[in-house]
Amino acid sequence: MANERVIPWQPTVIAGPKQALLVTPETAELMIKKAKRPLFILGPLVKEDPLLTYATKIAEKWNLQVVTTADAYKPFNDKGLNPTAYGVVEIVNLLKDPEWQGVDGEGQHDLVIFMGCIYYIASQGLSSLKHYAPHLKTLTICKFFHSNADASFPNLKDEEWFKYLEKMGEVG
Amino acid sequence: MIVVAPKPKSEPKKFKADFWKTKDFKVSIGEIVEKEGGISEEKTPMGPTPKPNVTDLRSWDMKLLGRYEPFYAPFCDMCCLCTFGKCDLLNKKGACGIDSEAQQARIVLLACNIGTAAHAGHGRHLLHHLIEELGEDYPLDLGLNIDIEAPITRTIIGKKPQNLADLDKTLSYVEEQLSHLLSACHTGQEGSSLDFESKALHSGVMDDLAREVGDIAQIVALNMPKGDGDAPLVEMGVGTIDNTKPVVLCIGHNVLPGSSVMDYLDETGQEEDLEVCGICCAAIDISRYNDRAKVVGPLSRQLKFIRSGVADVIIVDEQCIRTDVLEEAQKKNTAVIATTDKMCLGLPDMTDKDPDLIVSKLLNKEIEGALILDPEKVGEVSVKVAKIIAPEREKLKLLPELDEVQKMAAECTECGWCTRVCPNSKPMMEAVIAAKEGDFSGFEELYLNDVCYSCGRCEQECERELPLMSMLAKVGEKLAKTEKFNIRAGRGPVQDVEIRRVGAPLVLGDIPGVIAIVGCSNYPNGGKEVAEMAKEFLERNYIVVATGCGAMSIGEYLDEEGKTLYEQYTGDFDARGLLNIGSCVSNAHISGACIKIANIFAKKPLEGNFEEIADYILNRVGACGIAWGAYSQKAAAIATGFNRWGVPAVVGPHGSKYRRLLLGRTDKKENWKIKDLRTGKVMDGEPAPEHLIYAAENMEEAIVMTAKLCIRPTDTGKGRQIKLNHYIDLYKRYHGRLPPDIHLFVRNEKDIPITYKKDVKEILEEVGWEPREIPQEPSLMGMGGD
Repeated sequence: MANERVIPWQPTVIAGPKQALLVTPETAELMIKKAKRPLFILGPLVKEDPLLTYATKIAEKWNLQVVTTADAYKPFNDKGLNPTAYGVVEIVNLLKDPEWQGVDGEGQHDLVIFMGCIYYIASQGLSSLKHYAPHLKTLTICKFFHSNADASFPNLKDEEWFKYLEKMGEVG
Repeated sequence: MIVVAPKPKSEPKKFKADFWKTKDFKVSIGEIVEKEGGISEEKTPMGPTPKPNVTDLRSWDMKLLGRYEPFYAPFCDMCCLCTFGKCDLLNKKGACGIDSEAQQARIVLLACNIGTAAHAGHGRHLLHHLIEELGEDYPLDLGLNIDIEAPITRTIIGKKPQNLADLDKTLSYVEEQLSHLLSACHTGQEGSSLDFESKALHSGVMDDLAREVGDIAQIVALNMPKGDGDAPLVEMGVGTIDNTKPVVLCIGHNVLPGSSVMDYLDETGQEEDLEVCGICCAAIDISRYNDRAKVVGPLSRQLKFIRSGVADVIIVDEQCIRTDVLEEAQKKNTAVIATTDKMCLGLPDMTDKDPDLIVSKLLNKEIEGALILDPEKVGEVSVKVAKIIAPEREKLKLLPELDEVQKMAAECTECGWCTRVCPNSKPMMEAVIAAKEGDFSGFEELYLNDVCYSCGRCEQECERELPLMSMLAKVGEKLAKTEKFNIRAGRGPVQDVEIRRVGAPLVLGDIPGVIAIVGCSNYPNGGKEVAEMAKEFLERNYIVVATGCGAMSIGEYLDEEGKTLYEQYTGDFDARGLLNIGSCVSNAHISGACIKIANIFAKKPLEGNFEEIADYILNRVGACGIAWGAYSQKAAAIATGFNRWGVPAVVGPHGSKYRRLLLGRTDKKENWKIKDLRTGKVMDGEPAPEHLIYAAENMEEAIVMTAKLCIRPTDTGKGRQIKLNHYIDLYKRYHGRLPPDIHLFVRNEKDIPITYKKDVKEILEEVGWEPREIPQEPSLMGMGGD
C-alpha cells in the first residue's frame, strides 16, 4: 500500500498537520547539491556493514562533514571520515542555535542529513529542529519515514533501501 | 545579594533542666512548644527561605536555567487543552497567545505536578491511616544512627519533624504549593517558558518532600529497615513463586494492603500456606515490611505475569498499574481487589461489608471485583478468596500449549504492524514467523531480560487478534522457572555515620561519585543494561544506590557463579557499595544523603537554607542519577527535584519524550563563570556538571556521560585524576580515542591521570591549554539571577 510508506514508521510520532516531503535518492541529492554547508549525522544503527560502507560512500561522494552519535564514532573514524562525536541531543541543541558556528567553526549548517539514529529519539530531535531551527532544513535517509523531518525517505524494505543508498553514493 | 542562613556564633547557653520552671517562664518560639518536663529543642538558626512559596527560589532556578538552558523537543505540535483549540504551535502562537516553548514547559510543569500529586496522594493516604491507627504523637524514630531524620523537610520547611503530626503539616504545605503550581497550568496564566520551568523545579522539590514524608511515615510506623546496610535478602523472580500454593499478587506502590495480607497470615498462622508477591514498588515495600513477601520483578513483568494466571487474587493500590487489569484478570478468573480512591475500576464499594460476605460475593461472581478501602479487611478477604479459588483455578494457571502457539503463529499475515507499533521496534513479527515453523527462539529473545516489556501494543494492532503476550508468556514459561534471584530489601535512609565516613572522599573526589539508578522499566533493550551499568560503576569504586524498578532490574543479573550484584557487593554507603534504598518514595533519601553531606561534612545549616545547600551539592557532591527506563510523570517529578538540588540525571532515549532537557553549552564560556566565595572573585569555571538532565541514545553513551557528570569544581588534584581516569577509560573503550573535551576538565597538570599523561598532554598542547586558578569555594550565589 503506497500510503503505508508515508505513515511514520512508528505511527504515533505524528505531531501535527505538517508532514515531511517524501523524497527519492534523486531529490535527496538535489537537496545536498543545493546546500552550502551540509552536515551528515550518523547514528549507532548504521555502524556495521553494509550500512557503514553505504554511509561512508555517501559522505565521501558529497564531501560531507560528519557527526557521529552515541558510540558510532570509531567505525566511521576507521573508515577515514574524520567525524566529530556528539550525543544526538547535544548536536541538535547546537544546530538549533543560529549563532553556532558549525562543526568546523565556519558557520551554522544549512542542511542536516540524518541516518541511523534510534527512531524515536531522532524523531524528537527532528521535532526540535522543525520548531526552533528555521535556518536549516532536515533530511532523513533512514529506512523509516520520519514525519518530523523536512524531507524523508519513505518506509522501505532493506533491499530497496540499500538501492537508494547505493544510488546516493554512486560516483560518476 | 547573597542570602544564606546565619551560622550560630556561639554555643547556646546551657541552663539547668529546672531553670525555666523556677523562673515560672513559658516559652514559645514559633511552633516550638514546651514539652512535658522541659524544652523540646534548642532554637535553630533559620535560613532565608523557610516554607518557600512558588517564587521564593526563583532566583536560584534562573541561575540553573541560565547555565542549563531548556532544550525543547515537542512531542506534539498542537495544544488541545482548551476549546479555543486545537492550536497548531509550529512557528505560530496559539489562540491564548502561548508559543511552542512555553507550551512545552507548561506540559513539563503539568507532568511534574501529576507526579508530585501521585506521591503526595500516596503519602496522604498512608499518613491518614497511620495517624488513625497510632495517633498524631507517634514519634519519628529512625534509630540511633540517624539524627538528621528528614533532611529535605528540615531544609524546606525549616523544622525538624518530631512525629506523625509534623509530617501531616509538611504534607499540607506541599498540597498548598501544588494547588498554586497546578493553577499556573490553566489557560491564560504563565506565559514564560523559564517561569514555567522554575515552577516545575518547585514542583520537583515539593515531590521530594512528599516522598520523604511517605517513606519516613512507613518506615517508622511499619518498622521497615532503618538505614540498614545488612537488610535481608529477599527472593525475587517468577521462579521463586510456588504456584502450587494460593498466590496473592500486589501491584502498585502503596504498602498498606500488602502489609495487611502479611499480618493476617501471621495472625492466623497461615504464613506457610500462601505465597504473597508483588510487582513494581508495592513489591519492594511489602518485602521491606516482611521479608517473606516475594518480588516478581519490575513493571515490565506486569502483563506477562497476569496472563500466566499464577495469581489467584490481584490486589491493586495506586500508580503504574495497567488500567485494564480487571479485564485481564477476568480472563483467568483471578479475583481483583481495588484498595484506594485512585483506582476504583468501577467496582462496588464493599468497604463497610462483612469480610465473609465480600468473599462469598466474589466467589459466586455476584460482583466483578471489590473496592475495599480498609486495608485490614483487604488482608482477610484476599487470603480467604485465594485459598478457596486456587484449587478451582488449576487449569487456568496454564497457558496455551506450545503447539497451540505454533498454530496461532500460522495465522500471521506478516503485515509487520506489531513491530512498527512496538515502542522499541523489537522484531515481534520475525518471532511469530519463526514460531510458525516451531522455532521459538525469537520469542525467547524477546522474553529474556524483559527485552519486550509487555506493553501489549502489538496485540492491539494485530489484524488477526493474536494473543501475542500470551504466546510470549508461554514460550517464556520454562525460562521463567529458572528466574530465581535475590534482592536486598530496601534499607531506607543513609546513616549519618556513613556520611561522616564518606563525606570527605566524596567531596574531594577520592570516591569518584554516587550513581543513583532509579526509575521505571521503559528500557530500550531490556533490564540487563541497568545491571551492566551498575556493575561498571561498582567495579570502578563508585557508590551505587538504587530504587524502584531500577533496583529490581539490577537484581536480575547473575554472575558466572549464579550470584546477583546484591550478593557480591556490600549494602553500605561506601565505595563499591550497592544499596537498595527502597521504592519510588525512598528516592527522597538519595537527595537526602546529598543534603546530609552539606550538613554533616561541611556544617552548612539546613533550616530554611535551600539555596546554599543546593549550591553546595551542585558544586561539590559528585552525584548523578540514571533513570534508564523513566516513563512516568512521577519519574519526571523525581528527576526535576534532583535537578533543583543540583544533582544531574541521565535518562534513556525514551526520556527525550518528556519534551525538555536541561543542557549546558561548553562553547559558551561565560555560562560557566563562578564566584569564589572565599575571595569574592568571579572567575572562569568549568562545565562541571555539564548537563542537568540529558537523554542518551544508548547504554554506551549513558555510561560515558554519567562518569563525566560526576566531575565537580572542588575535586582535589588526586580526586580529579581518579574521575578523569574513569572518564577517559570509558570514552576510549567506546570511541577508541581520548575524549576531545578533556582539556576542559584539566585545571592544572596535577589533574592529569598518570596512565594517560602523555596522551592528555598532547591534546592540551594541540588546543593551546593553559592552567587555571582553582576556586576554593565555587558558587553560583551572588551571580546572575539574584
